[in-house]
Amino acid sequence: MTVLERRYRWLLRCYPRAYRTAHGGELLDLLLDSAGPGRRVPEAREVVGLVSGGLQARVHELARGNPWRDGLHLGITAIMVVNTAALLPYLGSLPIWVVVSLAALLAIVRGRTLLALPLVVVTGAKATAIAAGAQLFELTLIPVYPDFLTGRPLHSTTGPLAVAAGYALVAASLPILRGVRHTRSAWWLAALPLVAWAGPEWISEGGEIFPLSLNRLVLAAALITLGAWAGHVSRDPRWALGSALYLLVLSTEMAQHLDFLSRQHLAYWGLLTFVTVASAALPYRYRRHPLD
Amino acid sequence: MFSHMPRGTDEVSEPMYFVLTALLDGPLHGHAIMKVVTDLSNGRVKPSVGTLYGILERLSDRGVILVDREEIVNGRSRRYFRITQSGKSILEAEARRMLEAASLVVNRNYA
Repeated sequence: MTVLERRYRWLLRCYPRAYRTAHGGELLDLLLDSAGPGRRVPEAREVVGLVSGGLQARVHELARGNPWRDGLHLGITAIMVVNTAALLPYLGSLPIWVVVSLAALLAIVRGRTLLALPLVVVTGAKATAIAAGAQLFELTLIPVYPDFLTGRPLHSTTGPLAVAAGYALVAASLPILRGVRHTRSAWWLAALPLVAWAGPEWISEGGEIFPLSLNRLVLAAALITLGAWAGHVSRDPRWALGSALYLLVLSTEMAQHLDFLSRQHLAYWGLLTFVTVASAALPYRYRRHPLD
Repeated sequence: MFSHMPRGTDEVSEPMYFVLTALLDGPLHGHAIMKVVTDLSNGRVKPSVGTLYGILERLSDRGVILVDREEIVNGRSRRYFRITQSGKSILEAEARRMLEAASLVVNRNYA
């Protein structure tokens, strides 16, 4: 295997596994035949074509099945990542609840909705109780101080209503998803530390009352923008629904601190809302020609 | 036929147009399509491999082209694509639209 072939094989990983298995060899043949003699580095335009073509193939592969149910599953996966990430820094004080929340997230990612339901309900009840300063299931020393990733006590800047809303939305959606097994990439689990980490401060005014870390801001904006692009490419509304559900929970959090929100908070919320609305509109845009 | 013609100026993309034109003479595999497209456009249109296969998958999804057969060459599968009747209609409509647009300029009497 030449260096060029190895590099093209690596680039072909942009395509979904099933597509690579079926047609990867066909593409590789053409790529190697088109390359000039002695070439070791892929042409820039071939790199762009493979990355773009691979991502589009992935989007089309994901845009299968009922878009509303899958969009709902996408949204509650994102919300459960946020819920679990909120507990993660308190592993030392709340080991059982962090494990139960992780199990719930894993069950959702694997599409085991009925298994996830009781786990979400009990974790949600406990987290809401802590946010309200109440005791539930076991005696917990409140405030709960973190072990890593953040310096703030658990839910010290989030009210019980916002915490309950995040879990209630997930719990209410799970029975709807019963029957068809929706699964998501394990990469969602990799987002946990990034969301849990307090990270660099971005909100200069009102940040101490309602902090939003730069890493969470960037991650959410990037994923929602990626969803808008996927909706544009596939003309499918599932990504818009997922973004809208996440935005609903974020809006509930922000509404609790309405009097203290800064321009930066509102600008960020406005940006996410704009991209979410765009991602809802793009799948229904006018078809310019029969192949659009 | 004209009532079903695509509207606007951003119609069937140029690479798509040449890919469909390349298939008018019969089924071709990816490598041959690439060569014919380059020849037909005098080297002006030369899509990357990723772009070409993106176009082929999209046209295939829309029922404009079909996989005619698969052959194994050097242990690797190679698909031959052919244009469908619907694809020919779309291509002819696009050619007529461009012809009408071009005639507005070409047939103008400048004298």
